[in-house]
Amino acid sequence: MAVIRLGYVHVRVTDLAQARQHYQETLGMDPVHEEDGRVYLKSWDEDDHHSVVLEEGGVGLVKFGYKVTGDGTLDAIETRARSFGASCERMSKGDNAGVGDGLRVTLPSDHVLELYSDVEYLGTNVGKLNPAPWPRGLRGIGVPRINHALITTEDPALLERFFQDVLAFRPAERLVAGDEDSDLVGSWMYCGDQPHDIAFVKGANGKLHHFAYEVDDWSALLRAGDVMSMDDVPIDFGPARHGITRGGTIYFFDPSGNRNEVFSGGYRTGPDFRPITWTMDQAARGINYTHREIDQAFLEVVT
Amino acid sequence: MPRVTVVPHDVRVQARPGESVVDALRRAGWRSRYRCRRGGCGVCKVPLVEGRVDYPQPVAESVLAAAERDSGLCLPCRAVPVTDVVVDLGAEPLRAVLASTALPRTGFSRTTEQEGR
Repeated sequence: MAVIRLGYVHVRVTDLAQARQHYQETLGMDPVHEEDGRVYLKSWDEDDHHSVVLEEGGVGLVKFGYKVTGDGTLDAIETRARSFGASCERMSKGDNAGVGDGLRVTLPSDHVLELYSDVEYLGTNVGKLNPAPWPRGLRGIGVPRINHALITTEDPALLERFFQDVLAFRPAERLVAGDEDSDLVGSWMYCGDQPHDIAFVKGANGKLHHFAYEVDDWSALLRAGDVMSMDDVPIDFGPARHGITRGGTIYFFDPSGNRNEVFSGGYRTGPDFRPITWTMDQAARGINYTHREIDQAFLEVVT
Repeated sequence: MPRVTVVPHDVRVQARPGESVVDALRRAGWRSRYRCRRGGCGVCKVPLVEGRVDYPQPVAESVLAAAERDSGLCLPCRAVPVTDVVVDLGAEPLRAVLASTALPRTGFSRTTEQEGR
């Protein structure tokens, strides 16, 4: 009975044609479904129906979905969410193309989180029988899968408690300004054995800092940077290594200004992992271990 | 070509047709305050002191509201001058950079071209 992974991110874009160009040709995702003003996309190594939804009009996060196991997890989470005091409602098959019945929760940070176990299976682009390690004919970066999202919240301690108590996530790394709960600046939390499946830092409620794609390794990351240069994608920073998670990173922006990341590596966690602490005097090293300096605006710029 | 004047720095550059204020400054070797350069984050929002600008790319109302435009604010990363303009970039200094301009889009596998076939 558990949350499995980040399943989908649903974002607003100011211009759907430009967004498609970015997500399909630069990142290399495949469109799987289209409806009025929306495109649903899947990366080549993902099994489920879609992992990104682009919706025309505005910028920022509409909602995001986490897939859960089908053994009563939704009922258990609903009970715990209600006792936590979070508002939640059942969502119906068809609310999201390809996704079945589920649960829609409004987080203490005002973000809309959807949980589901029933989702249409499309399969990876290499199949499950004697598969090749990657499919021929990838476009652009050829991202294999999405990995995590980072959101902002006015009260990181409250949101950490929600993810811990209601969704059974654990913190892998915590950025703190002091010893009090109210001194928590950010938390990187996991549900499986990644260093993070969700992260949040202090900021405005309801906002998206970035969502990330996983790539194989550092050399794939550098190649991703080549494609970004070819397509004149604005880079926020990178390639660099994170102190927090130890992953390799490039942060960049989609044509509407939503921040994306390509992320590689990182260590493994698990139920017995003990959280790592970062103090504010080393926050820059935590975020960019290589350069040990970040613009003040980095944590504040969200959509 | 419209002239872009930045105050209080008193920097003057020419904007090519269709070029944003930020891109005109970058081409001339100046980095102003911006982040996403795609009209989404709002970090570059500043007063437009004189002149008129156009927004060929849609800008989200949540980033630059109509009331803000009416009150004289602009989004330099998306604002394309249609007359000579003066923008007030505030106290933060401009940083001298050597920035490459966007390359013309080429290639044969692009979605738009595939759709056009």
